[in-house]
Amino acid sequence: MLTHVWIIPGLMAVSFALILLFGKRFSEKITSGIGIFFIGVCFVLACVTSVNWIQRINDPVPDPSAAASVISQPSDAGPAPVPGMTDAEAVVGAEVGPAEAAADATHAAGESTPTTEATTTESTSTESTATEHAAGGEEHETKAAPIVTRWTWFQIGGIHFEFGFIADGLSILMLFTVTAISLLVHIYSKEYLHDDVRFTHYYAFLSLFSAAMLFYVTSSNTIQMLTGWELVGVCSFALIGHWWEDKNNSDAALKAFLTNRVGDVGLIIGVIITFFAAGATSFNVLHINQYALSPAANQTLLLVGALCLFGGVTSKSGQFPLHTWLPDAMAGPTPVSALIHAATMVVAGVYLVARLYSVFYEGLNIGDNWINYIAVIGAITIVGGAALAFVQTDIKKVLAYSTISQLGYMVMALGVGAWTGAIFHLFTHAFFKACLFLGAGSVSHAAHHTFDMRKMGGLRKYMPTTFKTFIIGTIALMGIFPLAGFWSKDEVLAGALNGQGGHAYLFMTIAGLLGAVMTCAYMTRVIYLTFYGEYRGHGTPHESPKVMTVPLWILAGGAIVLGLVNLPNWFKIGDVAYTTRFEHYVEPTFAFPVIDHAEFNLGLALGSLALGALGIFLAYQYYWLAKSPLLGLRDKSKVFGRGYWVLENKYGLDHLYTDIIVGGVKGPIARASYWFNNTVIDTVVNTAGTASVATGRVLYAQVDQKVVDGLVLSTGAGAEESGEALRHIQTGRVQQYAALLFAGAAILAVIFVVIV
Amino acid sequence: MKSFLDDWGLTLATFIPLVGVAIMLLVPKAEEQLHKIIALLTTFAVAGMGVLLLTNFDYDRAGELQYSINRSWIPFINARYHMGLDGISLPLVALTMLVVPLCIIYSWNHFPEPQNPKAFLILILILETGMVGSFLAEDLILFFVFFEVVLLPMYFLIGVWGGEQRQYASIKFFLYTLFGSALMIVSFLALYFLSDKVMIDGVSVHTFDMTLLPAAASGISTSAALLIFGGMFMGFGIKVPIFPFHTWLPDAHTQAPTVGSVILAAVLLKLGTYGFVRIALPILPGAARSWAPYIGALAVIGIIYGALCCLAQTDMKRLIAFSSVAHMGYVMLGIASLTAFGINAAIFGMVAHGLITGMLFFVAGTVKERYHTLDIKRLGGMLQSMPHLGWILGLCTMASLGLPGLAGFWGEFPAILSAWEANVANVGLFRFYMVIAAIGTVLAAGYLLWLYQRTAFGTPSDEFADDPHLHDVSVLEWVAWLPMLAGIVILGFVPNIIFHVTDPAVIRTVMTSLNRAGG
Amino acid sequence: MLAQFDSTWVQPTFDYHAFAPEIVLVCVLVVMILVDLFAPREAKGALPSLAGLGLLAAAIPVITLAVSGHTRVLFGGAYVVDQFTLVLTAVFLVTGYVVVLLSTNTIAEGDYWEGEYYILILSSVLGMMIMASARDLIGIFIALELLSIPAYMLAAWKKRDLKGNEAGIKYYLMGVFASAVMLYGMSLIYGFTGTTKLVEIGAKLGQPLGDGRQLVTLGIVFVLIGFGFKVSAVPFHSWAPDTYEGAPTPVTAFLATASKAAGFVALLELIFVAFYPRADVYEPLMWALAAATMTIGNLIALRQTNLVRMLAYSGIAQAGYILAPFAVAGTSASVGQTAIKAIVTYLVIYVVMNLGAFAVVIAVARKTRSAEITSFAGLFQYAPGLTVAMSIFMFSLAGIPPLGGWFAKLVIFGSLASAGTTSGYVLAVLVAVNSVIAFFYYARVMRYMWMEEAPDGDRTPIRIPASLQIALVLTVGVTLIYGVFPGLVAHFTDTVSLLSLGR
Repeated sequence: MLTHVWIIPGLMAVSFALILLFGKRFSEKITSGIGIFFIGVCFVLACVTSVNWIQRINDPVPDPSAAASVISQPSDAGPAPVPGMTDAEAVVGAEVGPAEAAADATHAAGESTPTTEATTTESTSTESTATEHAAGGEEHETKAAPIVTRWTWFQIGGIHFEFGFIADGLSILMLFTVTAISLLVHIYSKEYLHDDVRFTHYYAFLSLFSAAMLFYVTSSNTIQMLTGWELVGVCSFALIGHWWEDKNNSDAALKAFLTNRVGDVGLIIGVIITFFAAGATSFNVLHINQYALSPAANQTLLLVGALCLFGGVTSKSGQFPLHTWLPDAMAGPTPVSALIHAATMVVAGVYLVARLYSVFYEGLNIGDNWINYIAVIGAITIVGGAALAFVQTDIKKVLAYSTISQLGYMVMALGVGAWTGAIFHLFTHAFFKACLFLGAGSVSHAAHHTFDMRKMGGLRKYMPTTFKTFIIGTIALMGIFPLAGFWSKDEVLAGALNGQGGHAYLFMTIAGLLGAVMTCAYMTRVIYLTFYGEYRGHGTPHESPKVMTVPLWILAGGAIVLGLVNLPNWFKIGDVAYTTRFEHYVEPTFAFPVIDHAEFNLGLALGSLALGALGIFLAYQYYWLAKSPLLGLRDKSKVFGRGYWVLENKYGLDHLYTDIIVGGVKGPIARASYWFNNTVIDTVVNTAGTASVATGRVLYAQVDQKVVDGLVLSTGAGAEESGEALRHIQTGRVQQYAALLFAGAAILAVIFVVIV
Repeated sequence: MKSFLDDWGLTLATFIPLVGVAIMLLVPKAEEQLHKIIALLTTFAVAGMGVLLLTNFDYDRAGELQYSINRSWIPFINARYHMGLDGISLPLVALTMLVVPLCIIYSWNHFPEPQNPKAFLILILILETGMVGSFLAEDLILFFVFFEVVLLPMYFLIGVWGGEQRQYASIKFFLYTLFGSALMIVSFLALYFLSDKVMIDGVSVHTFDMTLLPAAASGISTSAALLIFGGMFMGFGIKVPIFPFHTWLPDAHTQAPTVGSVILAAVLLKLGTYGFVRIALPILPGAARSWAPYIGALAVIGIIYGALCCLAQTDMKRLIAFSSVAHMGYVMLGIASLTAFGINAAIFGMVAHGLITGMLFFVAGTVKERYHTLDIKRLGGMLQSMPHLGWILGLCTMASLGLPGLAGFWGEFPAILSAWEANVANVGLFRFYMVIAAIGTVLAAGYLLWLYQRTAFGTPSDEFADDPHLHDVSVLEWVAWLPMLAGIVILGFVPNIIFHVTDPAVIRTVMTSLNRAGG
Repeated sequence: MLAQFDSTWVQPTFDYHAFAPEIVLVCVLVVMILVDLFAPREAKGALPSLAGLGLLAAAIPVITLAVSGHTRVLFGGAYVVDQFTLVLTAVFLVTGYVVVLLSTNTIAEGDYWEGEYYILILSSVLGMMIMASARDLIGIFIALELLSIPAYMLAAWKKRDLKGNEAGIKYYLMGVFASAVMLYGMSLIYGFTGTTKLVEIGAKLGQPLGDGRQLVTLGIVFVLIGFGFKVSAVPFHSWAPDTYEGAPTPVTAFLATASKAAGFVALLELIFVAFYPRADVYEPLMWALAAATMTIGNLIALRQTNLVRMLAYSGIAQAGYILAPFAVAGTSASVGQTAIKAIVTYLVIYVVMNLGAFAVVIAVARKTRSAEITSFAGLFQYAPGLTVAMSIFMFSLAGIPPLGGWFAKLVIFGSLASAGTTSGYVLAVLVAVNSVIAFFYYARVMRYMWMEEAPDGDRTPIRIPASLQIALVLTVGVTLIYGVFPGLVAHFTDTVSLLSLGR
């Protein structure tokens, strides 16, 4: 299965095609059935893949030949499995130095490396374990060599653009997460979108999204990733604008797409730069990583590349200051928000950084630093996002900002070198945030499709299940022991405090802790406003049906237990390997920087728990007891008043983007250039035309038809004679013509006699 | 079969339409149905010819001219009837042969006023001969003739069957191009007389042969070469069109009948870029190097400028027209980079733009026909009143803004990529261009999505709330459009279809001489 | 070189074959006069056909001469029948024939003296034929008068129409003035070189000239100006529009094509045989004339509302293009050769497409009774055939492939580029720009014919008499064929050469 991960996105593509073509003819039941069936199969396959991978790591492949025999059975089918480092030749050659590197690269481009050759012509499958190349990796690491299955997509100027799929810890983890959440969302939507105007359209795009996302996480090269990246963007566009009759929704969709497009400029340039930074021979991620680590790499180029790529991350993963689209994206159906804008698509950026980690690690010099751009952005996002969550009255918006701030954790973790922490948090977050969103959906399903918390309250009586699951999700999000959130967030914080090469990322740690407090606080607020007090909406809310609550329970279960998959070694009892399994199976060992892993830090853990408790207490005091010293602070103190105003206006970013930048471009600038087009350029052209016509008129009327009188007089004689003959003819211009003739002759004659 | 194609393939492919014209001239004007059938069959015959050529094409030698036929034509000036098909021309020829029949099918039962299918179709057929011929010609004079032959029919299509401003638009279109080609022919002649003599059937003579000139022209002095290239630049650049010579395009597109716009966008604009790739670069590589930075600059200006103008449009068709300016900017950027990447991307971009913008104009035409207006403000809710049309528009929009997985992307991305290591003296400058071009993609997304939002999203305005004219895509339209839509999607996922043909040709024809020019 | 002619002196033979075309034509003329005088009125209807057949008959010996090939030199080089002569003789005959075709109905239906008309046409053609073979100042002058005087009369053929009289008198007076200037120039040259034979003049001018230099210069300038009038080069063009407008349209066609071509023939002979060594004089002169002629001609043509007048000015502009190669002819023998070919080629094509244009004008005028461009509005709706034909001629005049005109332009460009001199390229660019301007007014005709509505919706079709139809088919066909297979016309003009005699 590891060599056939491409099947998984493929299946979803089929599902999309089926629903798109025949969906209209089918009943909702069948349509959703198709989607659920396919994603279900994908989930099973993902599990199988995971198992294969775990086996692959647990019991090493004894020798290449055996592996070859394992892999090469289906080889006639076309795929040619090649471990990432088949491109290593270029890198090895590059070790000599940049100049030779280029030379070698071009050589490689000229008549490409044998393995690539093999993949182009007949698909022979060669499987070489990492032992040959992995620089001094120990025995158990060498098994972790990713499996890359690839074909030549096309070829320009001798450079092969590969079309390939990668199976390694990271991609398989993503496969599992995406399929799992997507499956639940598929099921949940069946009820939630019941009788929707565009039920088919909805499921079609759900499938397409799953396909694109899975395609993205299994891509073996940056171009493919770019493709997947954009496709998920489109699906998000289509699903946010699902109810496009309402202008607000389509506006939100456009905003999402365009904001991401801005980031994509960075992404595109980044992809290009990394391609050239890695010797301009291949877009293969492993190749790029490997090259980044090799001494031949040009650090400046890597830095520029990394920063450009991060532009894409900033928009896609809702990092400050391009996060503004995410809250608006909540205009889409809630399950979509859960799947796309919480669990999966928005983490694409995080995945990108994790996938090309060597580039970022080397480029930003994370290993030997106490601060760097990514970490800072992450930190800002944590706090900034959390702060905004306080002033929202729309429950989904709160969750959206909470997502932003959680994404901040992941990005920051990557920034401080806590790779595992980041991915681990991505993993857990996917479940509890999905749980929360679907919970919110369930709530609004009950409370007349409103998300305004001011119209809710006291719902715990009406919808116990939703309440319970929501609480679980909340606690997980708050990072309270022992739920999933606790472990992952703790790992991030520990990583930040520990830092790399002895440099603690102190500011980041503080930001993280601050974020913890705020998270607890605003979630308490949500709980209070939604489930406690008296019901403020109209009608009587009701619990949602099974088809919606079961997914909630499953997710809640995940939120409880999944944290245990990466117990710190601190909890190790005996020598049974049950700790740090996640790190062991997921963290790459090939073409990956050597990073030191933080150990569990009891002080930090307790500290963050205490702060969390404080946050909860403050919020409890503020909302429940309504006798907090903070009450009315907004009115008492100017500073807080201003602060609140700033938050309400989302730091004015929306105003800046929508009104100033977009408005400016769409309005004055565009009109100006169009004016230029019509007034300046066109006028020049038209004038050329009219001018020649005008000249014609003048020449004809003034010069051609009435010749200068002087000439006429000078030939009075001629005029007399011909005058007699022509007296009765009105237009007697002969004498003038004659004058012209003679004059011309005379003048020319003089000129020539004098000159020549 | 092969030998037959070698002798006759290209000639037939080019002149079959004229046979159709001859037949139609004999048929009385009243027999409209008959005329349509004859015209359609003719274009099918051409397409069939094209299929034969494609299937018998030796793709392993895609770099070399195939089916080439080389006969004496005008001994007086050694202009020869030299035609050939290679990887560069093949995709464009195929595109032409695909688009023309589709246009005829589309216009089957809505001919623009004043009707008269006979004249209309005759012009389209003549147009096809001109277009196919220009892509096949291997002799400068022959190329020039076909290049000009294209003008007349388009002039009449716009001028007779066009919109309100048709007379202004048509004459503008014609004069612009004529101006360019007049200078172009002068520089061709300068090339002819300044290049070294070559041996043709044992006689040493000057030549117009594109295959011989790269070698023969190497002796031309730098200054002369620069001027000659300048002349060609005017000729091709106006056709592309490159900023600031683009102002004929919006008028022509807006006024032309739907089919006219489609052919104009799909094929005619490509004549200019094709000229650069096929003639200007290989023959005068040195001058190309010196010109590249300026062409690149104009290209990126075009990208941004075109996009900005799009944002200011209220007329759907005009907006699409300006988007062409922007897209051809990417093509020109790819060409200006003088790299294999860029030029391949350029050729792909030509085809992609042909399909995508062609489709957009089809849609625009249909909108005009259904709503009787193209004023974006008045449209809206197309997804409700005509879901299929709305979806098609959506697909084309996405393709047009360069979404990976659709054809548009492969013209755009490699072009931008090529600018990073352009094959010119000043690499830094082109990296700057690259960034601008990349930013252009945002603007592209902007105007296209705003267009889509304002036309497809929302609910129909009251005037069109329940307008009986608003029936969804008809069968004929599906027939005419599906091939193009399929092309857009398939090329998006299997770009190799085109790249594996163009790449060897580009390397053999363009890169070799560029590299020989050193630098 | 002279030795060659001495040898012809030694055995003076009168080569009837060489004279055959002229002789035939003369006979036909005589016959026609007799018919006109003595034949009964109804028989006079045969005159046009007689004239046409006569012209065709005269073409037969031309062909035989062409077949027999070798150059025939008579009167010690004063009269030559070579490839050049034959090609142009043929052109004149065909032109004459087409003009007769155009005239047949117009003249018959108009209030004209019919017999004299054709007699005059033929005698004018005769003069042109002589012009094509004359290689002697006197010969040229005689030919000129022989072709002009009938033309003067024809121009005034609408005898009851003031405009017609004006046209005739204007043309006559201007012609006389021009002849005067020319004669003066010729006398100067004769006075200096002591010979009237072009070849010998050429030889003389080839040698270093003493203090008489200015005189010769003056002479050359005057002679060239004289013919500048004939080809209506700016600033000696002013007669053309009025005359063209005033004369009956067939006559206009005749003047605009044949007699203009005759002027160029004279220029070719004079410059390439006689004045060739004095490139320093004629090159700048011709450069200036060409530039002025094409530019001003085009610009003024933009303003015309009357199609005939427009064609007159467009003809002036075309004359400018034809003059252009003279401006570089002196660069080198090979360039000169290219120039001759270019000019002759252009003449051949120019004559055809212009005749065609006039044919259409005549045809349309049969219905609209007007030559105003506006009267062509909506022509496409009721006379698609004529419209297409007119479009072909207009685009051909504009030099758009694949119509004859483009090749004519191309050879002009070619000869200018072949010189490789700056002045050459500048002139080439000027021609290029001009051909764009020119398209403006040609397109205006297009616009009215294709894109406007017919005035007062009158869509009755036009009945075109057989003779006109033949003329149209001929001209359209030839224009197209020249455009698609320029090799054909090139094939005739390729062998044309005058320098061989000069050297």
